[in-house]
Order: sequence, then structure tokens, then C-alpha cells
Amino acid sequence: MPAITRAAHLLSANKTNPLTWWLAGLSLAVMASLSSNVFVLIGICVASLVTIKLCRDDSPWAQSISFYIKLAAIVIALRVIFRIIFNLGSSTKDAFLLLPSIDIDFGFGNALKLFGPISQEAFTLALLDGFRLAAIILAVGMANSLANPRKLLKSTPGALYEIATAISIAINLAPQLIASLGRVRRARSLRGQSKGIKAVTGIVIPVLEDTIDQSMGLAASMSARGFGRKGNRSNTQVIGARLLAFLAICLIVTGSALLLFSPEQQTLELVILFVGLVAAGFSVKLSSARATITRYRKEPWRLGDVIILASSLALVVLAFGGVFAK
Amino acid sequence: MIQLKDLSFSYLKSDGSKVSETPQLNNVNLSINAGEFVLVCGPTGSGKSTFLKALNGLAPSFTGGVIEGELIIDGVNLIGLEPHEFASKVGYVNQQPENAFVGDTVIDEIVYCAEQLGLPISEIKTSVEKISALLEISDLLERPLATLSGGQQQRVAIASALVAGQKILLLDEPTSALDLEGASEVLRVLQRLSSEEGVTVLLAEHRISRVIAAVDSVLVVHGDGSVTKGPTETQFNDSRFAPPIIELGLKLGWKPLPVSTSSANKKWTETKPKYIAKTPFAPTEDVLRVQNLEVNFGSVEALQSTSFTLQGNQITALMGENGSGKTTLCWAIQGSGTRTKGSVITSKGETAELSSNERLEVITMVPQRAADLLFLSTLSAELEESDRFAEVKPGSTAKLFKSLAGRIDTSIHPRDLSAGQQLSLVLAIQLVKQAKILILDEPTRGLDYSAKHALAIQLNSIRSADRSVLIATHDIEFVAMVSDRVLVLEDGKLITDSTPIEVLGAGSKFASQLAEISNEQGLISLEQVQL
Repeated sequence: MPAITRAAHLLSANKTNPLTWWLAGLSLAVMASLSSNVFVLIGICVASLVTIKLCRDDSPWAQSISFYIKLAAIVIALRVIFRIIFNLGSSTKDAFLLLPSIDIDFGFGNALKLFGPISQEAFTLALLDGFRLAAIILAVGMANSLANPRKLLKSTPGALYEIATAISIAINLAPQLIASLGRVRRARSLRGQSKGIKAVTGIVIPVLEDTIDQSMGLAASMSARGFGRKGNRSNTQVIGARLLAFLAICLIVTGSALLLFSPEQQTLELVILFVGLVAAGFSVKLSSARATITRYRKEPWRLGDVIILASSLALVVLAFGGVFAK
Repeated sequence: MIQLKDLSFSYLKSDGSKVSETPQLNNVNLSINAGEFVLVCGPTGSGKSTFLKALNGLAPSFTGGVIEGELIIDGVNLIGLEPHEFASKVGYVNQQPENAFVGDTVIDEIVYCAEQLGLPISEIKTSVEKISALLEISDLLERPLATLSGGQQQRVAIASALVAGQKILLLDEPTSALDLEGASEVLRVLQRLSSEEGVTVLLAEHRISRVIAAVDSVLVVHGDGSVTKGPTETQFNDSRFAPPIIELGLKLGWKPLPVSTSSANKKWTETKPKYIAKTPFAPTEDVLRVQNLEVNFGSVEALQSTSFTLQGNQITALMGENGSGKTTLCWAIQGSGTRTKGSVITSKGETAELSSNERLEVITMVPQRAADLLFLSTLSAELEESDRFAEVKPGSTAKLFKSLAGRIDTSIHPRDLSAGQQLSLVLAIQLVKQAKILILDEPTRGLDYSAKHALAIQLNSIRSADRSVLIATHDIEFVAMVSDRVLVLEDGKLITDSTPIEVLGAGSKFASQLAEISNEQGLISLEQVQL
């Protein structure tokens, strides 16, 4: 299918701005969190996977697709299993699974009820919750697989030093973790392990240490080349910008969390989110008041970026409009 | 240019107390002139990296610890500042450039520092032109970093460190991962930077036999907190890290000590020292048979059809440039690596069909990143686990480790060991398993000369126990010291299978330093020279 190939080429990971895929991924995640239609959620999962498959290049961070699929499957299974175990009393009338219930009496308050008959509605709801989380995981996985973390790192504003470093290290962590996992697993079989040692420590510890070492090495190399320099800004400006950035992050996180957990009431949450975004903007503005960084080559916004961003924006608007709600 | 006054640095424990009584750097006083090319050396684990990092704030910022005293650069005391405040004056390049890259293409990477320092675009442009011409990478500017050779990557890293007009360059083992050609490319540009551009270069290295003729002075980090600096001839009374050329001079009592191959060659022809022939060990029976082994990665032929056998009582070196297929071959032989065709037969059968524990009874391997094999939280726990797994007498691994790395506090975390000490530990863990075949992938990376000698002695004793060792390496001097047979790979093809005298002898591509100095056929290693 040449049309699809051409489109995939236009949108391929190394031809797009790294921010594009993060914005697209986050849009899909927002859409998933606002939707209770299982077809929409499955659609998001499939769309994310197909996009990864078509647009990825052969860089190490693009090889993580199976990791996200496994994680998503585990989350769906856990959500359903938890619903079955911590069954908050469906009546036997409309039961769909008739499990015997276990009551644990603590001697005070109500007894804790485990298992018991579960209604079809409760079961579907749990499954839906699972799919929603899975869709969010895959959408973020898509961003992580397609956005070049190195490019993203380069375009982080150096003005918000500590926060930007922490975020860029965190973003780099997942792809590196996956890359070193394969290498360490292979190396571990070279040593063997006596029975007393937990198998998992043999893999997890070297992988974690290696990943952290690498991230720290990267951060050190960036720092040694001037990343996060205060430049000619006064201390007050620096501290002001950081406080504002902290406030902005708190507001954005609170706003989005409230949006996710109570999709009914939205006005207050949207206001909080908006104030947070404005604060973030001011903080960046304040930190770069006297420009200390040059961009030798701006990362261009190409046709592919415009297409992806426009469609993501459209989806988010439709989602807020309640189109995918039911 | 750089002046250190009573500079001290100590690592701290989590409770805030100092790790040891003597600081890592103890009241260091020295000065380095503008344009001076300084070699920083010292035994494995003595703190060369820490010393370099202290000069641009990475220590203590990224290492933890406390720094005291004065660090005067360009007349200003910069002690206690963050690394980014040094960036406009000091460039820093580490061992593995690919881990430090922030960009995607060469040009992205080079301009990074200039961007962070906020230089105007026009200035960056001229600076990029100048620095890329100096480092011979002008043709590579648009190439993705991942497609470059190690030597090219390292030159990009150097360009990136100097793009803002920095006059001081710190390099932490920049050539240790490079092949001969890559290493000499890097050395050549460093020499030019110091002599023509007046850049002060501080180069920490282990493989120094070809470096010492190029440097102006040698700085030794002794490991007991003291740091000394002086002319090359006077700095090598500690033979733990003296290269073959110096060892030869010391052994034969040459005065003044020659530091370049040509001056040593003159002295050799004048004095004509005696040497004995190298007698290879007689091989015993075949222990491993490689038949028509082929490895393809997608459309890339990493290893073309290769066949050879390994015998007992033999140390076989596997040489070749970066990317020639050495590591691929090692993993394919071991059995868990990718194979497209062919077989590898041992006494237990085909290695690819054995379970990983069955393999360990016949074949053990130390991979390039030895630290991947370490996972416990103390050195003593690692040593005990090794004894338990190998079912040997408690203390066996510890004894082996001590013979390789010396006495080390066993309560230490394995991650706090130096690269060389970690390698020694993994070697000890693998050697204690008593498998007939041992594969070592670049084992001498990061080892000082005394650690290499210790390793050579260990390998000799394994060989006499009728075992077979395969070493993939760039390290010519080490091959000259230990090998009985040399295989050479080029672009995935086995092109040579011969004796070390043939491959490393005078006039050949892989000539050892002693072969170059003496120009005698049949002489390749220091052990052959008689008093």
C-alpha cells in the first residue's frame, strides 16, 4: 500500500519534532481518560500500536513496544482481578459470576468482604477501567518509542535547571532501561547464580545501576558543557522562576488528576489547569528574561508535525465535547 | 593557566564522615602552563578520573565528597563552583563518547556547548568551521553520530568540548575503547591542539606507550593522596604503570631514559642487548572446533564463514579493528550469541544447544562490560557467592582476586571499585569455575601495566593446567606478552592465523613496541630481553 508507506514516511520518527509525539501521546491519553466507550479505548490502543509500528526507526528506544504491550495486559488483568477480590457487594440477583464470599471480621466496623457474587455490570466496569489505563499506557508508550529522547533533551529549556534535568533524565531512563535489560540478561547467564540468590536481583540491580550511571554520565556531560548556567541572571530571578515553576507543576498535576478522577465536574479543574499553564509560561519567560541560550538550528515544525498536532488537538476537543464519552 | 594550591578532595560516607583517613587528593600543589600537554597516569584505581573531575567541578558535584583549597584557572579561584560555571573555560571528554552525546548529528553535538553558553549564531558558525577543520571532521557535520567510528566519535566529542574557545581540555581515557587507528587519530589531533592552538591538554590514559613521546610532562596520581608532576624521564620510578619502552630502559639501565621509539632505537643499535627466542607452548588436544561459523545481522555480514580449532595449553589472541567482528565471534562461540550458520563443538557438544549452566562447565566468558556480571552489594558477598556457585573451597575466589588486584577492603560496594578492579573481580569469578575454555573480550581495558602483568601470570598458570584461552583485544603489548597464536579478523573475515612473532614482529601492521624499537625479527616482548 504505497499511500500508507508514503504517509508513514512523512510522519517517521526521525523526521518529526520530538515534542510532537509527546503532545500527540498526551492527547490520546487525555482522550482515553475522558472516554467510557470500550470501542474508543480499544481504538486508542490499536492506533498507538499501529503508529509505533509504522513510524518507528531502528533506534534502541523504539524497540520497547513489547514492554508496553505486556504492561498494558498486566494492568487490565490486575484491574479485573482486584475487582473480583475486593467485591463491594453486588447482589446475587443480577450475578454473572457466582463466587462464594469470604468475610474477614476485624472485630470493629464492618467486616471486610472478599469475593462473592459479581454482577455483569461491575465486571464490565472493571474491564473498562483496565482498558482505559491500558490505553493511557500505550499512548505514553507511543510517545516514548517515537520521540527521540536525545532531541527532546536538547530542546529542554536550560533555565529551569534542576527540574529540567530531572525530567530529561527521567524521560531518558525508560528507553535506556529497556536497552540495558537485554544486555545485562545476556551477561548474567555468563556468570550463573547459586540457589540461595534471588534470580531477580541478578538482573534488576545491574540494570538499574547501569541505567542510573548512564543517565548521570549524560547529565555530567551536559553540565560540563554549560547546561543550566545561571548566566547573568540575578539570584532573585533564578529563585523566583523556580518557585513559579514549582507552583505551575503542582497546579497542572492537581488539575489533571482532578480531571481524570471526576469527569463530571470540569469547570474548576479546567481553571486550575489553565492557571497552571499560565504560571508555567511566566516561569519560562522569567527564567529566559535575559536570553542565555542560543539555538544554532531550530528544530523545525514540518508538515508531518502539523498533521499530527492538528489531529491530536481535534481529538482532544471532541473528547472534551463529550463525543467519546459513551 | 591552572594552579592548584593545597587542593584536597575526600569522598564522604552517607553519615557525612570521610571514607578514609587519607583523602583521595591530599594537599596537591602544582601548576600547569598554557599550551602544556600533560599525561595523567597512575596505577588502577588511584584516582586519575577524580583528579580530572576536580578540575572542572564534576567532583564533587557529580561524585559526592568535599573539595578544599584553591583551584586557580586564568587567575581566578574557581573552587566550589558547579561544572557549568567552568564550561566556558574547561572542556571535558570522557571514556565513552556515545553515552555523553546529546545530539543526533555531528553538528548538533558540536554546537551544544556554544548554544548553552549563549554565543551569538555568527560566532558559533565561525567557531564550528575552525574546530571541525582542526579535528578533521568537516566532511562529517551532517552525519548521524551513530554511524561514525569510535575515533571519529571521540574527535566530535573533543570538538564539542572546545567549540566555545575553551583553552583547557580534560580527557578521561579517550582512547581506551578505540583500536590502533582510532587511538592514533585522536592522539594526533591532541598534539596539534596543544602545539598549534595553545590548548592546555590533560590526558588520563592507561595505554601510554605511544603517548609518552608526545607529551610535555607527566603527572602521576599515586593513589595515596599525593600527586606529582615533572618531565617524563623522572616520573616512572614506579613501574606499576610504566609502559614497555620505559621498562626496557629501566631494565637495561639506560641513561637518560629514552621516551620515544626513535631515541630508544638508537640506543638499541648502539648497545645491541641480548635476547632469547620466544618458545611457544606445545598445544595438547583440540578442545573446541569452530566450523563454517557465519553471523548476519539483517543484511550485514558481521562474520563470514569461519573455521578453526582451539587447543588445550594455548592462549590464542583474536585481533582486528573495531567493528571487525571480534565480539560477535566471541558470543557466537560461547553459544548464546546470534548465529546464522555453522557449529561450535566442545567436549560437551554443540555450545548453542547447552543450557547456560551446562555451558559454564565447559566455557566461561568475560564480556566487554564486565560490571554487568556484578549484582551484590558488597565485595565479600560477591566473592562468597562465586565460591558457592563454583562449589570450590571458601576463599578461593578471594585468593584469585587478591593476586589480580591486590588487597582491597571487602566491605566496599563493587560499584565503588575502579573499572580495572571490577574487571579483576569478574575475572576471578570466572576463572574459579575451572572450565576448560575461557573467552575474554577486551580484558585489558582500564588496566594498568602491573594489573596486566598479574593477569598475564594468571593466564599462564591456567594455560599450564591444560586449558585454552581466547582473548579478543586491541592491546598489542598484551598479546606480545601472553599469546601462543594470533588470529586476525578484518571486516568479518579471518585473514590471519599465525604465530605472535609473525603478526607482531618488526615492520608489520601490528608491530609491538619492542619490535619497533629493536627492529629485530623474533623479538616482540620485554620478557625476551636478557641482561
